[in-house]
Amino acid sequence: MARILHVDDSSFSRLQIGKVLKNAGHELLQAENGRAGLAAVQEQSPNLIITDILMPEMDGIVFLEALRQLGNRIPVLVITADVQHDTRENCLALGAVGLLNKPPRDEELLAAVAQALGQGGI
Amino acid sequence: MVQLSDDLLDALREVINIGVGKAAGTLNELLGHHIVLEVPQVVVLRPEQIVNHLTQRPYDSISLVVLQFSGQFSGLSTLMFTSDSASKLVDLLVREETPLDELDAIKTGTLTEVGNILLNAVMGSMANLLGSRLSYTIPTYQEGPLAVLLRPIIRPESAALEITTRFTVQSRQITGEFLLLFEVVSFDAFVAVLHTALLG
Repeated sequence: MARILHVDDSSFSRLQIGKVLKNAGHELLQAENGRAGLAAVQEQSPNLIITDILMPEMDGIVFLEALRQLGNRIPVLVITADVQHDTRENCLALGAVGLLNKPPRDEELLAAVAQALGQGGI
Repeated sequence: MVQLSDDLLDALREVINIGVGKAAGTLNELLGHHIVLEVPQVVVLRPEQIVNHLTQRPYDSISLVVLQFSGQFSGLSTLMFTSDSASKLVDLLVREETPLDELDAIKTGTLTEVGNILLNAVMGSMANLLGSRLSYTIPTYQEGPLAVLLRPIIRPESAALEITTRFTVQSRQITGEFLLLFEVVSFDAFVAVLHTALLG
């Protein structure tokens, strides 16, 4: 099982997604925005990062860019409410290994996590 | 201000229908209950009319999520629930026992994120259909009388087009309403985008 960092400003989404990941046996780390996420990446070395896009302080796009600048190799999966095609293309161009729209179905989330854990990072 | 022809109004209703349909599908997945949608009401208002028009709704107190959007066209998208419907919705979504001292925070967090997801579904579907790109602000959540909540966020000089769609979770007696407001300046741009994408 993997150590997964979930970055999302919504307590509701952290609760819902966290429940699915913990029930699947994963170790869960959480952060409320990209800035806290960056600190968690450096201090706790997760195997996978899941991030939202629209967040205060540091949003998911800036977070992805920062990870890229740091030469991060941890796979990043984006889970966002934003259904725009451009957002998906932008995230994938910044190195995300996948993007799911909120709310992901449990089986969809676990399949994406399994696939992401099998892939390289940014 | 640009006037909307019947063809354009029909096209606009269809774009809204598709966006709200996407949101209803999302809410259906979240709740596991069927969502009934009403036909969108599109009202073109003179800027000075809009606050009075909006606050004529018969709600004493509402729960309101606001997501501001900008891009080729700009404005406010909002999701409104009566207080009773908001409480039922939270009960459905957060089924675990919740400590009393955390109840307000959980209710606020849940409704903010539900609003964020549904409003993104509406606006993002519209943007995809129209070939536009929108940026959003962080959604906000407030409770209180509709007039008190709306007056500070609606700039009377900049609002022009009101689009309302009501939806119901019949089995749970939950009713909500999407309300989209476009700014005057971008309203003309929105109509031009709509015309090009759908009727051009």
